[in-house]
Amino acid sequence: MAAQYKTIHPVKYYRDFLAHELRPDGRSPEKTRSVTVNVNSICTADGSATVRIGNTTVVCGIKAELGKPRADEPERGFMVPNVELPPLCSRLFRPGPPSEEAQSMTCFVAKATEEMIDLKQLCVSADNLVWVLHIDMICLDYDGCVQDACVVALSAALRTVKLPSVEFDMETKTPTVDLGNRRLIDVKSSPVSTSFAVFDDEIILNDPTGEEESLSSAKLSVVTDGTTIFSVHKPGGSTLSESQLQDCLSLSRERANLINKMIKVAISSAH
Amino acid sequence: MAGVLLSEAEKTFILHGVQSDLRNDGRSKQDYRPMELELDIVTHANGSARVRLANTDILVGVKTEIDVPKPEKPDEGKIEFFVDCSANATPEFEGKGGEDLATEISNFLSTSFNSGLSFDLKSLCILKEIQCWKLYVDILILECGGNLFDAVSLAVKAALHNTMVPRVETMAMDGGNVDLQLSGDPYDCWRLDIKNVPCLVTLTKIGEHLIVDPTAEEENCSMASLVLAVTEDGRINSLSKTSVGSFHPHTLTEGLKVGTEVGIRLNKALKEALEKEEKRLQADKPERSGFLK
Amino acid sequence: MPVDNRRIQGPEVSFPYCLFQQSDGRNKTNSNPSNLLTVRKDGRALLDHRKIYMKTGVVSQAKGSAYVELSNTKVICSVFDPREIPNRVEYSQHGELYCVLKYAPFSCKTRRAHQQDSEEKELSLNLKRALEPAVCRHEFPNFQVDIYVLVLENDGGCLAAAITCAGLALADAHVPMYDLVTAASLGVTGDTMVMDPIEEEERLCSQDVKEGQNHGLVTVALMGAHTQITQVWQTGSMTSTCVSDALSRLIQLCEETYPIAQRCLVKSVVNTISKKSTS
Repeated sequence: MAAQYKTIHPVKYYRDFLAHELRPDGRSPEKTRSVTVNVNSICTADGSATVRIGNTTVVCGIKAELGKPRADEPERGFMVPNVELPPLCSRLFRPGPPSEEAQSMTCFVAKATEEMIDLKQLCVSADNLVWVLHIDMICLDYDGCVQDACVVALSAALRTVKLPSVEFDMETKTPTVDLGNRRLIDVKSSPVSTSFAVFDDEIILNDPTGEEESLSSAKLSVVTDGTTIFSVHKPGGSTLSESQLQDCLSLSRERANLINKMIKVAISSAH
Repeated sequence: MAGVLLSEAEKTFILHGVQSDLRNDGRSKQDYRPMELELDIVTHANGSARVRLANTDILVGVKTEIDVPKPEKPDEGKIEFFVDCSANATPEFEGKGGEDLATEISNFLSTSFNSGLSFDLKSLCILKEIQCWKLYVDILILECGGNLFDAVSLAVKAALHNTMVPRVETMAMDGGNVDLQLSGDPYDCWRLDIKNVPCLVTLTKIGEHLIVDPTAEEENCSMASLVLAVTEDGRINSLSKTSVGSFHPHTLTEGLKVGTEVGIRLNKALKEALEKEEKRLQADKPERSGFLK
Repeated sequence: MPVDNRRIQGPEVSFPYCLFQQSDGRNKTNSNPSNLLTVRKDGRALLDHRKIYMKTGVVSQAKGSAYVELSNTKVICSVFDPREIPNRVEYSQHGELYCVLKYAPFSCKTRRAHQQDSEEKELSLNLKRALEPAVCRHEFPNFQVDIYVLVLENDGGCLAAAITCAGLALADAHVPMYDLVTAASLGVTGDTMVMDPIEEEERLCSQDVKEGQNHGLVTVALMGAHTQITQVWQTGSMTSTCVSDALSRLIQLCEETYPIAQRCLVKSVVNTISKKSTS
C-alpha cells in the first residue's frame, strides 16, 4: 500500500514522514548517510579512489601524462578534472556527449578543487614539459549528492598519485622517466562539499537522496575544509533565512572534519 | 536480402533440399554462385578491383598516402578500411540503415588483417618512427544480393594485389624534416605481398547443416551464421558469429573444418582468376566487360 | 580535431610517460617474452584461470546490475526497463538489445578518449551477439532493453568479463531468458595455450608473431544448460585444429563458471526475500 501511495503522491508521502521529523530511509532531516572511502582500487591509474555516500558511488581515476605548458604560464602544470554521468548510473542519462548536469557538475567540482595543489610543482622543465593530471570522476550510482562524492573522491585520489621522476635533456629535448623513483604530490588544502535540499520551502534535508533532490524546491552546496569556507553555491529556488544558512554552515564544517579524517585513515591503511 | 517472406512449407522445402545436398538452384552445400572479377578499373586509385557474386556487386579502391607511424608501433605502416553501404545497394541502407553493417564489415576486416602473419605492415614503413605508407581501402557496395562478407573480402584481396605503391628513391634528413624523393617514373612501383591475406567465408546454418553463399531465401531459413577468415594455407585469422542464433559445439568444430576447406579453395580460385585477369590486362587493348567501360 | 567544449580540456597534446621510460627499465618489461609464460606473473599454471568475483544489484538506480572482477579486471553493468525502440517506424517482432561497452578513461595502460572508439564499438557488437540468443526476445516485441557496460580496469579478458557480467545483470533485471551466459578467454602463442590471460599476456599473444606458428586470442560465450555457444571471437592466426582445441578448453572453463554465476543469483534472490520479510 505504501509503495502505491508513494508513486501516486510522492510529495504527500514525504510530508507525512517529515511531519514526524523523519525521512523515509529512517534518518532525521539533519543526519547524513554513511560514507566509505577506498583508495588505490584501480591499478592502471596513477591514483584512484572509490567513494560511496549511501547508494551514491563515484570512482575517481587519475592518469598522469606529459605535455607542453601554455606559453603564458610556462611553469604551471595542468589539472583536468571531468565528471562523467554515464547512462549506466541512472535512467536519466543517455549515451553521447555529457549532459548539462554533468557539465555543471564538472564546473562545480573544478572550482571547488582548483586551489588544492600548487600547479608549479607539476613543472618538469619550464616552457618545455609539465605534468598533465587527467582526473576522471565517473558516477556508478546516481542517488543524490554526486557532486559531494566527486569532491571527496578527487581529494582522496589526488593524495595517492605518485609521479615518477623525470629528467629533461635540454639538448635533445627528450625526457627520461625513472619509474622506480616516485614522489607524492603536495596537497595544500582539503575541501569537502556538503549538499542540502530544501523541501516545501522550509525543511532543510542534509545529504539528500536522489529522490529528495528531485522533489526539493531549492538546493545548497557548501564547500569547506572544516575551518574556512571555500564556496557556497545556491542556484535559485526558494529562499533561506540567515539562521538556516548558519545552521547549514556549521553542519558542513562538522562533516568536513569527519570526512577529512576518513580520507586520512583510508590512505594510511592503504600504505 | 530481407523483404523475402517465406511460408513454413517453403522453408521446409529449402531445408530438405539442403539435407540432400541439392539446393534450389542446383548447387551443393559448398558451392558458390558464379563470380566475375575485374582489376584496375579506377584510374585514379593506386589499385582497384570489382567483384560480382551473382547479384552482389562490390567495388574496392586502394589509395596510398604518407603518414606518421603510431608511437607504439614505430616500424609499421597503416591500413584502414572504410565500407560504404550506399542506398543504391538495397532500400534497407537508406539513411543510417547500413551504418551498423558497414562498421561490422570494416571491423571484421581490420581484425583479420591484424596479425603480422596475414599482412606485413612492416613493408609499408619508410623511415622508422617518422614516415610510413598508409593504405586507405575504400569499399563501395553497389548492389547487395547477400553474402557481403565473402564478396567484400575477395574484392579487397584483389584490389590489394592490384595496388602499386610508388618507390621511394632518396631520403634526406634535414634537421627534423624528412625530404622524400619519389621515383619520377609513374610505372616504377612495387606491389604488396598478398600471399597470406585471408578470404572471408560465411557459413550459414540451416537445420543441422552448414552451407556457403546463401541466397536471400536461404538466409531467411537460418538463425545462425559464422564468418571465418581463411588464408591460402588453411590458417584461420579470425572467427566470429554474426547473427542472432547460437551453435552447438559440434556444429562449430564441423564448421571450422568445412570453412577451412572452402577457404583454401576460394583462395586458390581467386589466385587463378587474378592471374588470368592480369594476362588480359597486359594484352594491348583489354576488353572491358563491366559497367565502367 | 574538433574541440570538445562540453568538457574541461588539457593541453592539445600530452603523452603517456611510459613512452619515455629509461632504456634499462624497458628491457625489464620486454625481456625474453617466452619467460613470461614459463612462470606467469601471478603464479598460475598455464591452464589455470583467475579467481572470479560476482555480485548483483550494485546499482540502486538500475533495474538490474552486476559487477564482475577477474582479479584486476573490473567490469560493471546495468540494465534498464524495456522502452520503445526510438526512431523506428515499422513494427519489429522481436525485442532488441541495445549494448554499449565503454572503457573508463583510466582503465588501460594508456589513457582512453571519452568518445566511443572503434574497438569499443566492436566489443559492444560482440557483447550484443553473445547475449541475443539467451534472451526471450519475442516476449517484448518492439521494445529495447538497454545494457550499459563500463570497464573500470582492464587486465585482460575484458570481453569475457563483460559478457558474464551483462548476463547476470539481465537476470537480475528479471528479463526473461532461456539460460545464463558465461564467457571465458584464452591466448595462444606458438604451442603454448594460456588460459584466462592477463593484459600483458594478451599483448604477447597478439604481437609476438613467428612465421608458421599459431598466435592469437579466443573468447567464447556459452549457455551452460543448453551447451550452446552464443558467441565465439578469435583473432590472430591459427590452424583449425588449434582453434577447436581452444574451443573445447574454453567450453570447459565456461561450464566451471556457470555454477558460480548461478549461486550468485540464488544469493541475491535469498537476500531480497529476507529483506522483504523483515521490513
